Amino acid sequence: MTDLIPLTALGATELRSERFGALTIAEDDSYGLASLTLRKGQSAPTPFGLTLPEAGFATQSGSTSAIWTGPDQWLILGEGKGQTDFAAEVLAQAPQASVTEQTEGLVCFDIRSDVEVLPIAALMSKLVNLPPENYATGRATRTGLEHMTVFLYQRDERHLSILGMRSYAGSLWHALVTAAARLAQAA
Amino acid sequence: MTRLIGGLIDRTAPLSFSFNGKTYQGFKGDTLASALLANGVQLVGRSFKYHRPRGIFTSGSEEPNALVTLHSGARTEPNTRATVTELFDGLEASSQNHIGPLERDLLAINDRLAPLFAAGFYYKTFMWPRAFWEKLYEPAIRKAAGLGALSTLPDPDTYDKGFLHCDLLVIGGGAAGLTAALTAGRAGASVILADEDFRFGGRLLAESDLLDDSWPSEWVDRTCAELASLPNVRLMPRTTVFGTYDHGIFGAVERVSDHLPPSDEAVRQTLWRITAKRSVLAAGAIERHIPFQDNDRPGIMLAGAMRTYVNRWASAPTRNADDQVAIFTNGDGGHRTALDLLGKGVPVLGVIDTRPDAPVFGKYKVFAGATVTGTKGRLGLQAIQIRQNGQSTWLEAGALGVAGGWNPNVHLASHHRGRPVWDEDRLAFLPPKDGPKGMFPAGAAAGNGATSVALADGMRTAQQALAELGTTAGNIPLPRVTDTPDTQAAYWHVPTTKRAWVDFQNDVTVKDIALAHKENMRPVEHLKRWTTLGMATDQGKTANISALAVMAELTGATIPETGTTIFRPPYTGVSLSVLGGGNTGRHFRPYRLTPTHAWAKVQGAAFTEVGPWMRAQYFPRDGETHWRQTVDREVLSVRKDVGLCDVTTLGKIDVQGPDAAEFLNRVYANTMATLKVGMVRYGLMLREDGHLFDDGTCARLADDHFVVTTTTANAGAVYRHMEFAHQCLWPDLDVQMISTTDAWAQIAVAGPKSRQLLQRIVDGFDLSNEAFPFMACAALTVCGGLRARLFRISFSGELAYEIAVPARYGHALMERLMTLGKDLGVTPYGSEALAVLRIEKGHAAGAELNGQTTAQMLGLGKMVSAKKDSIGAVMSRREGLAQDGRRLVGLLPLEPQSQIPAGSHLFTQGAAQTMQSDQGWVTSSCYSPHLGSYIALGYLENGHDRIGEVITAANPLEGQSFAAKVVSAHFIDPEGGRLRD
Repeated sequence: MTDLIPLTALGATELRSERFGALTIAEDDSYGLASLTLRKGQSAPTPFGLTLPEAGFATQSGSTSAIWTGPDQWLILGEGKGQTDFAAEVLAQAPQASVTEQTEGLVCFDIRSDVEVLPIAALMSKLVNLPPENYATGRATRTGLEHMTVFLYQRDERHLSILGMRSYAGSLWHALVTAAARLAQAA
Repeated sequence: MTRLIGGLIDRTAPLSFSFNGKTYQGFKGDTLASALLANGVQLVGRSFKYHRPRGIFTSGSEEPNALVTLHSGARTEPNTRATVTELFDGLEASSQNHIGPLERDLLAINDRLAPLFAAGFYYKTFMWPRAFWEKLYEPAIRKAAGLGALSTLPDPDTYDKGFLHCDLLVIGGGAAGLTAALTAGRAGASVILADEDFRFGGRLLAESDLLDDSWPSEWVDRTCAELASLPNVRLMPRTTVFGTYDHGIFGAVERVSDHLPPSDEAVRQTLWRITAKRSVLAAGAIERHIPFQDNDRPGIMLAGAMRTYVNRWASAPTRNADDQVAIFTNGDGGHRTALDLLGKGVPVLGVIDTRPDAPVFGKYKVFAGATVTGTKGRLGLQAIQIRQNGQSTWLEAGALGVAGGWNPNVHLASHHRGRPVWDEDRLAFLPPKDGPKGMFPAGAAAGNGATSVALADGMRTAQQALAELGTTAGNIPLPRVTDTPDTQAAYWHVPTTKRAWVDFQNDVTVKDIALAHKENMRPVEHLKRWTTLGMATDQGKTANISALAVMAELTGATIPETGTTIFRPPYTGVSLSVLGGGNTGRHFRPYRLTPTHAWAKVQGAAFTEVGPWMRAQYFPRDGETHWRQTVDREVLSVRKDVGLCDVTTLGKIDVQGPDAAEFLNRVYANTMATLKVGMVRYGLMLREDGHLFDDGTCARLADDHFVVTTTTANAGAVYRHMEFAHQCLWPDLDVQMISTTDAWAQIAVAGPKSRQLLQRIVDGFDLSNEAFPFMACAALTVCGGLRARLFRISFSGELAYEIAVPARYGHALMERLMTLGKDLGVTPYGSEALAVLRIEKGHAAGAELNGQTTAQMLGLGKMVSAKKDSIGAVMSRREGLAQDGRRLVGLLPLEPQSQIPAGSHLFTQGAAQTMQSDQGWVTSSCYSPHLGSYIALGYLENGHDRIGEVITAANPLEGQSFAAKVVSAHFIDPEGGRLRD
């Protein structure tokens, strides 16, 4: 094991978390991420027992999930694999595919609501241009948020994960907490 | 006070406000206009051109006269309509466009000079001398003729933006809008009901027709309560839908806290982008007036507005409670006002009806077949002249209501260029038949303004709109209404030889229109520009149709033959701040940070923007007072010892697949397929037109796995280009690619001692020249098992490496290298030193690859392989490019301490400095601490054959001229020995 101490995407040793009324926004660096792209003629594999989802959706199997990111391309998320060579694990599960390590490519911010789906939808209406059906459980959408590329993954009705480019983590966090603070203030 | 009984104001909540420094009282539920009227204030402003005293003319956003300035200091907001300004405690308002007190405006002299200010006055008068246009005429005109003034201070308020989606957007919450929303809401559709007013109800709040035998507001409240209880309905009061855009998208501004005392915390306004599958335009109608002589005095207002003030706000339109009110009308509408006034105990002089067979609905005097032909009262109406049966009579009146019929509010239906259609029966323009797709006009906006008709029309229209979405909406119980349809007769203006105003805001009279007609400015668009009719903040909402009717009369044509103007967004003024969406200053746009940003910050680095990235520019040390001292030190350290620079910003694209090598062979001009595993190659990409697109490196990690690097600026563009090439040009190739720029922290370790330093972190990896030569690459581990990638590449010209680790470890790796390299003299260096190092080495960057240059110009023409095809290869051989003789050279100024600015043009010494004699240009320039002289790179005609020649570099913009010697672009180590050691 290396003795180098990692920093979070927000540039600290501790993960950041803030609460706004019923909403909590928290940085989560526990996921190992890898992109999986099919090669020509390859049928979709089932890594970790996952059925790779259709466009706009995510699937989950145990502690691993997959979200659609492009034609024949998915992002595989492995819970608790943030400090491992997760891409190697994915490749072992899908040796025919092209697999690229992305654990550090994306930052994950979790938005959790104490009550029901509404506060999350209200928050997101200030941030991304998506109709409400995109916040149904199991939906995953690639979209733009203040000119940044993000993936929205609705894990359940009280939990939305936003994955954005790591280098934009500070701006993305600012956008989220600004909108959340305004929402809390208006409430 | 002229406050009446009743009204929809909360008398338990008194509010204090000021107008022109004087304090008044109003109630919650008042607008500034209704509160001023209730305090007997009629005079609220001065007109645009003639500085005529003006009063409140309407009760809505169409207001042309009552423009006031709200607040003070940086929050000063000019040109705000008092008629839609919701009253709050402490509201500060003042009138505008006058010198001296409002009652004694010194610029009122303009009114005496009115004959000089005819239509087209500016165009005819201020023609010469030309030099005076901008310096004298414009400032003088702007000062004399204008509206409010800006504070010129930065806007201290907070703005927001957001996105909404719905099945049905209902624009306007009056009778039709409410039934439309309720119909759709009960059917389960997702509905947004938006209204610019702070209270839903529209004209229902202004009229006295009973709904289900009770006041209309009771039905409105019940309906709103039900709508609010439906989870699929979003009620948006204080929200103006200002524009109809493509694909069912609407722009709307919600005034979130404009009705509250200003605050530093609260969001002031929110810009909403609403995507609606269908929309119902229930924007109501705007009443028109009838121009007559001197019809602009304070106290003269639209008769419908007068009803609103009386019924909704319990405000009489007069200065004194016992002043008589007269009504001038061409239809039944005026009579409604008379009845409502009487109902509230306001004395009514009578109704002057242009119709000889004018009906009588109550106990008031009717002047049938009569007109108003004049008015008196300097600062407020005192008397009107009535002409009936050839006789003229002056009668005292404190206010006059004018009713000329209603114009459906077709604004939003014309935003896609549809032309409103004239309806002779209704004497009005109706929404265009070729209006925006999916928009359904309803109620008064569709010409169906009578309350009972509008209520039913809203329901029917919502049903029709939802049917297109496959939703069947049932009927809702509509309230019983006691209204009867109004009748009217066409009557457009009272002829006079004096001034009769058509457009109050722009001071345009019937005479001006006649003059425009005489001067052949007859098409409506010409009329508008010649007279300024319909311009400024109200965009002629109360004027356009009347003007059209006057022009039609003058030309002898019908109104539809004369034409109509259409409308553009926005419906009413929208502040630029809210259009900006709220992000200002540092967060105006998102920015990217490198993995070592926090570390660099602690080191006291200066940062610079490079595209979206913030990069460390240089790392000043104590005692260094100028950035050059720092940069010179950093550069010399790299050349002598070892330096560290975060180069994460360079784009990285992971390319895999059996055809990856073939694919890269096609996108790079040089051959990549022959690259051995474990090696890196410098590559050039061309555009289709043969010019240079980008340069970078390509590393082969496995037979079917490459990592491509791009310049920082072109990272996105190159990735897009490669995706395009794969998806559209060669979809048959089995290749997969994805950006990994952010995944890896990459640090350049450069300088003669770089190997020594790296040896201290790698886990048993052989870095010797034999085992890991120049342009080698490898996957390895560092610092006790951390996976990493090492590339032996050099931008500086020194022995150098780039080491990549997972981004979260970038910070720690930088710290570790700094600690372990202390005895080696390790120094962090920023983007500035990076640039100096590469200019000294003659390496190209963005300035050399500016989109107009070729591989040949860079001296790398041979890299464009003739043995294979690649993007841009064929076009790079075309005559114009192949024969371009300009080549990249180094330039050494004869005076070493003179900096030749980048962008300077090159000329043969002694030659005239003209476009024809131009010999090239300077691309990059810096001070070289290595040479102790300024140096530059540039493209020079036949440059490679002119080494040693002294040429002129000229910067004519600043009158600079430098003598410079042409040298090799490689100022240091031209043989490249240092790289390969």
